[in-house]
Amino acid sequence: MRYSIPKFWRRRGGYYQILLTRCRACGRIAYFTYVKCPYCGSGDVELIRSSGRGVVEEYTISYYRIEGAEEYLPRIIALIKLSEGVRVAGELVDVDPSEVSEGMEVEAVLRILSSDDPHGLIYYGLKFTPIIKDS
Amino acid sequence: MRRVYVIGSALTKVGRHFNKGYKELASEVIDKAINESGLESVDLVIVANMLSDSILDQLDISTILMQNLGMTKVKVLRVETGESSGLAALEVAWTAIKSEAAENVLVIGVEKATEYPTYKINKVYSKVLDYETETIRNITPPDYAALIMKAYLRKYGLKREDIVEWPIKMHENASRNPYAQLNFKVNHEKVLNSMIISDPIRLLDTFPIGDGAAAIVLTSSKESGRSKAEPVELVYTSSAVSIQVHLRDDLTKLPATAEVVSDLRMKFNEKIINEAAIELHDSYSIYAYLLIEELGLAARGEAPEVVNELEFINVSGGLKARGHPLGATGVYQVAELHKLMTSGLAGRRFDGKYAIAHSMSGPDYNARVALLQRVI
Repeated sequence: MRYSIPKFWRRRGGYYQILLTRCRACGRIAYFTYVKCPYCGSGDVELIRSSGRGVVEEYTISYYRIEGAEEYLPRIIALIKLSEGVRVAGELVDVDPSEVSEGMEVEAVLRILSSDDPHGLIYYGLKFTPIIKDS
Repeated sequence: MRRVYVIGSALTKVGRHFNKGYKELASEVIDKAINESGLESVDLVIVANMLSDSILDQLDISTILMQNLGMTKVKVLRVETGESSGLAALEVAWTAIKSEAAENVLVIGVEKATEYPTYKINKVYSKVLDYETETIRNITPPDYAALIMKAYLRKYGLKREDIVEWPIKMHENASRNPYAQLNFKVNHEKVLNSMIISDPIRLLDTFPIGDGAAAIVLTSSKESGRSKAEPVELVYTSSAVSIQVHLRDDLTKLPATAEVVSDLRMKFNEKIINEAAIELHDSYSIYAYLLIEELGLAARGEAPEVVNELEFINVSGGLKARGHPLGATGVYQVAELHKLMTSGLAGRRFDGKYAIAHSMSGPDYNARVALLQRVI
């Protein structure tokens, strides 16, 4: 099943910016736009926008080939702690695998995630790239 | 309260069955399991299958399967809870018999995972994660296993070479199991030099892709059939759901498994897990270590020290080497434990009272257990 535009379009808010779900009941914040708090189940939630910046907590260099994203190998998949204190898992780009380290500061960047086939949809979303500091 | 008994079980060798479809694979184990049970018929059939819609282009696989096998005089349904579908089917069967909605139930686990090239199967398998937040963003199950393995090594100051015993043990066990997909032995060097999948997870830390079918016949009375197999009681089934990996405070813990383990301990005695033969869900070797700790068989961070002392754990070779026919795996585990407690499996027989099958989907997104007890 391919080429479903509404399925992707509906979630564009969460794909093109980092939105967090803040729960007014338990006070916890979670990455992504949840209908109810994933921790306590309360519907008393609000969406807040993340700064998009964080640090790499853990990462892996992945050679696991998946259809639609074959050309992005190896992928660097990292667990990033955002400045808001919550974690997000995502791809790191624009960096050589040998240069990635825990504690590396990164920020979100819009990139192609995958594509259905040469004539299908191209899916865009956020990946992360190292923050280049002015010297 | 009604009791539930396993009175027949059958399984095929897990592997690349290019010459057989799901109907042929299922038919073989159904005939064997029903024949072993001594029953003439069953009133409910439950099919555990994870990928029929994605891989086989087949919806309602349970109905179509029954039509093809001339078994239209039964109630039938399919159960899917990702990689733990097999134990979920057992859970439904157990509930149906306990509640007196069914007398004799046939549970079939069947999966055809080798119909497409690996990179296509990798993609559909990755959908056991949340498609909208994880899979679409190219995050896959082995990536999480890798992040979890790194967190484990870091937390306990271990090196990668400290956790290679599990796959070696699994391949050793599988070498004696005629139903295992990978029946060759491996050593430290082979594990550590195998291809990197998602660093530090290597090929020999992961399960092979394979097809398979297994079947179990369950009944409400151990005397109801003329079973050729010694009956074993299915005492209890339980399951739990956990939160996503990025929401967890501690990556080295498996919350859903912790919950089903706690449930087992509360309902039965504390020692039950230590005394049982166990088949656990080692889709990636790191999960075996974490599961050993969640099951209380080792203190936190000490699973690597006890791996070789655990005798009746994954006698089949586990997902690692027996193989992991996805939605069918839980049915394999229970069929194997039934054989291990009765006629024997892989040249061994377990004389203890209890056996536990543990399955999960993805990185413990759900966890399920089935508790078997020898009939005294």
